[in-house]
Amino acid sequence: MKRNYDGCAICDSTWGNVWAEVEGERMFFCCDLCVVQFRGLIDRIKQETGWDRIDAIEIAGDRRGRVCVAESAGDRARFGFAFTPEGQLLRFSRGTASSA
Amino acid sequence: MTKCPACLVGFAQGDFPMLAEHLVERADESDPDHVRWLNQNLSRRKTAAASLLPGLTELFALPDGSLPRWVKTRFIAKFFGKVPHPFVEALQHPTRATLLGYVFEHQHFLRQWVRSCAFIMARTDRPEVIRYELDNLTTEYGGYGPDRPSHYELLLRMGESLGVDRSVVLGTPPLPATRRSIEQWNEMATREHWVSVLTAMHGLELIANRNLVDDGASVHYFDPAILQGQEITSAAQAFLREGYEADVGHSDEALALSDRFARELGVVEEVQSVFLRSIDLFDDYLVGRLERSGRFA
Repeated sequence: MKRNYDGCAICDSTWGNVWAEVEGERMFFCCDLCVVQFRGLIDRIKQETGWDRIDAIEIAGDRRGRVCVAESAGDRARFGFAFTPEGQLLRFSRGTASSA
Repeated sequence: MTKCPACLVGFAQGDFPMLAEHLVERADESDPDHVRWLNQNLSRRKTAAASLLPGLTELFALPDGSLPRWVKTRFIAKFFGKVPHPFVEALQHPTRATLLGYVFEHQHFLRQWVRSCAFIMARTDRPEVIRYELDNLTTEYGGYGPDRPSHYELLLRMGESLGVDRSVVLGTPPLPATRRSIEQWNEMATREHWVSVLTAMHGLELIANRNLVDDGASVHYFDPAILQGQEITSAAQAFLREGYEADVGHSDEALALSDRFARELGVVEEVQSVFLRSIDLFDDYLVGRLERSGRFA
């Protein structure tokens, strides 16, 4: 999965040292909480779009609220989201890919 | 003593190099609280402990030597910056769901509030602090008779005005974010210096301090216009108005006591760290209110 971050897959932090498999790929995370967040995000995007895989994801924003553009087999979709302190989705909404 | 603002472990006074080492070590272990603290306060990029020192020293520096000003600056940065906390945004013109999220989680907060303040009273030997806490607890929890019900009672009445009986509110357990925060506030109250607890708890009353905009807050806790008209119920107006009128005095008086006794007892640095921990817990707790609101949307 192509990503725009070189640090933690969800927040881009380079602190910490957690490696977890998501979508068949071993990824770096700063902490277990971010693993929960990223897995939950990917599941929700797949549920929302009906995609069976995600080829690329570009994330921006901070803990107050993030947006992402996800791609799968040439399709693109944009989402806004934020998490609870336990890493569950607090809000999740779909936007237009062109507005990303 | 200096304390870690993520876990409150102690170091010798002024030993920021050891604190920086500790933060890096715990972050290397991927501890979420330490990683979060570094991400939000110093840097998201991993670096050597020595490189954290300038930022750490600057963060703890008191503007013009004033602890109250430092507390307000940190509080504004966290909750009333250019992008305010999402609960503060939601409360500007609150929906029924937002107010019910407030009611369900805040009753747990206020019950812990009493315990935290009781610990301050149990441990201080200063009569002015006892008097302050007695007045605060009466306002928040006990009430001054039928004409001046407590903030707790006004909260329950707000819930009833929105169609939820108090028995439902009182019988609903807190969400995990609220539970974790109040458990840690309780632990803080039992373990930390009473001046730290005083600052950590009453500093939170800055949330409704309407004078904070004069110190740089981007917005009030809520748009004061909702205290007029019929946008929210009169019981909700009564609840919000009470905090709006009381919390200027509550927070400013507490910060004056904190400033005085932290210096006199030589505990300024630990007061600062405990306060930083408390506002992180408060941040999570406010998200808990939003999470609860989502169940009524």
